[in-house]
Amino acid sequence: MWAIARTELKKTVQDKGLWFWTFVLPIVFIVAFVAIFSGDESTSYKEVVTQIIPGYTIMFAFFIMISMVIVFVKDRERGMVARIASTPLSIHQYFFGKWLPFMIIVLVQITVLFGFGVVVYDLPLGDPFALILLSLALAFIVTGWGMAMAVIVRTENMGIAMTQILALGGALLGGLWMPVEFMPDVVQNISKALPQYWALQGYKEIILSGGGVADIWLHLLILIIAGVAGGVLALVSYPRFLRQSRS
Amino acid sequence: MIKVENISKYYGTLQALNNISFTINEGTCFGLVGPNGAGKSTLMKILSGILLNFDGDIHVRDWKVSKDRLKIKQQIGYIPQEICLEDTLTARDNLILFGNLYGLKGKELQRRMDEVLDQIGLSERVKDKVVTFSGGMKRRLNIGCALLHKPGIVIMDEPTVGIDPQSRNSIFSIIHQLKAEGSTIIYSSHYMEEVEQLCDSIGLIDKGQLMEFGRMEELLEKYAKPSLFIAGESIELGMLQTFGEAEAKGNGYLLNSDEPLLTLEKLVAHCRENSLEPRRLELYHPRLEDIFFNLTGTQLRDA
Repeated sequence: MWAIARTELKKTVQDKGLWFWTFVLPIVFIVAFVAIFSGDESTSYKEVVTQIIPGYTIMFAFFIMISMVIVFVKDRERGMVARIASTPLSIHQYFFGKWLPFMIIVLVQITVLFGFGVVVYDLPLGDPFALILLSLALAFIVTGWGMAMAVIVRTENMGIAMTQILALGGALLGGLWMPVEFMPDVVQNISKALPQYWALQGYKEIILSGGGVADIWLHLLILIIAGVAGGVLALVSYPRFLRQSRS
Repeated sequence: MIKVENISKYYGTLQALNNISFTINEGTCFGLVGPNGAGKSTLMKILSGILLNFDGDIHVRDWKVSKDRLKIKQQIGYIPQEICLEDTLTARDNLILFGNLYGLKGKELQRRMDEVLDQIGLSERVKDKVVTFSGGMKRRLNIGCALLHKPGIVIMDEPTVGIDPQSRNSIFSIIHQLKAEGSTIIYSSHYMEEVEQLCDSIGLIDKGQLMEFGRMEELLEKYAKPSLFIAGESIELGMLQTFGEAEAKGNGYLLNSDEPLLTLEKLVAHCRENSLEPRRLELYHPRLEDIFFNLTGTQLRDA
């Protein structure tokens, strides 16, 4: 299990594309959108950075699913899935080993982007314990869904397309690009079915309203349940994934 | 000893394997041959513990696959047809990964890595990334990764596909060394001459069924008709048929005979009398390929 995790982390760190999607592009977006919206006199500077920095952090956290899809599909195509299945490693250990590095990457991503917000835009952080728990829950759901997607999709392109729909569609409807209060009632109701909404509302609760763990327990619960559902779906789909593997 | 008992496998309604049973003795090399789509890969996947849902059972020593899967997996070194290596990492990283997966750590892992690297001839390239390796080097490393934990059973699925003769020769040396050390080898290949050269016994599988199983010499004897091979511009099928059952083979003819030496004498006399000059005239030793075509036919199977 740790061997798989170590190898995956080593490979992932070498992937320049991942660095771009995970750190460079989100920072470019944050800088650009804070510059555009901080001129709006009807909204306070704190509200702007509290909407944009967590919003884009959540949106780009979902893009880890692309890297996960690429890794799993490649493993399937070159027979690595079947090769590992021939070793004494259990399915659970295999998934844990594959999942852990991506969880770490998303947590580092959240830390870097929030850190950037603090240093450059004076972003307030609120209760650190609540912030860490919510960030763990966010990393858990995106990597859980990433695993499910990676195991289910037939091709890399299909996985990338579906991630775009989930990440960008979820960002639009979940209020990451603009506060849900500005959206029609129907869209506001749809938002509540999306993890992006619960993650952003959780961050706002902590940062803007000074909330603690007691104030975001529902947000945490929803994100964790959604993440577990992704993990279970990945496990259930594994036999089919293994059958499709070359050997 | 590996005892395969009544193995059947369905993919939906398609039956990939139909009630297959055979036994492989410890320390021998068993060749599994069959045309494309015969069920070979399915059987290899079952034997290597990749496919879990199937009817029947496999006994390895005192263990049963249905009960002792992990113990059996620890005894198996599976070398897949695909090159399963992390290209962007070094040979060392790959060996560490597979060593760890079989529970090897620290000094023991280092000692086995040194031994295996020496065995596969890659000691000098251990720190290089796999992406810089030739096809043959990758194949050898692929084998090395499966030998680190000193498996008692080595399953090789077409390990010589797409490599140069030197690398193939090196892989044969590894197999001979494994046999000498007492490992049981299950070897699947489309190259009949390799199977004939390396294996003590064979199983021929087609359409999900075990068509033949036995020791190589026994099978060659069972299916081989004593015959002569004759080739030359002046040699015609009609003339040969006066001596016995004859058929075209390659660039000549095969003449079956219960008494090949006597037929050879008669044929030589006939050629002298009629001033015929065969380019080749020799006793024909049947090959595994002949048995293969005999049992599976010569029609293409990739349709």
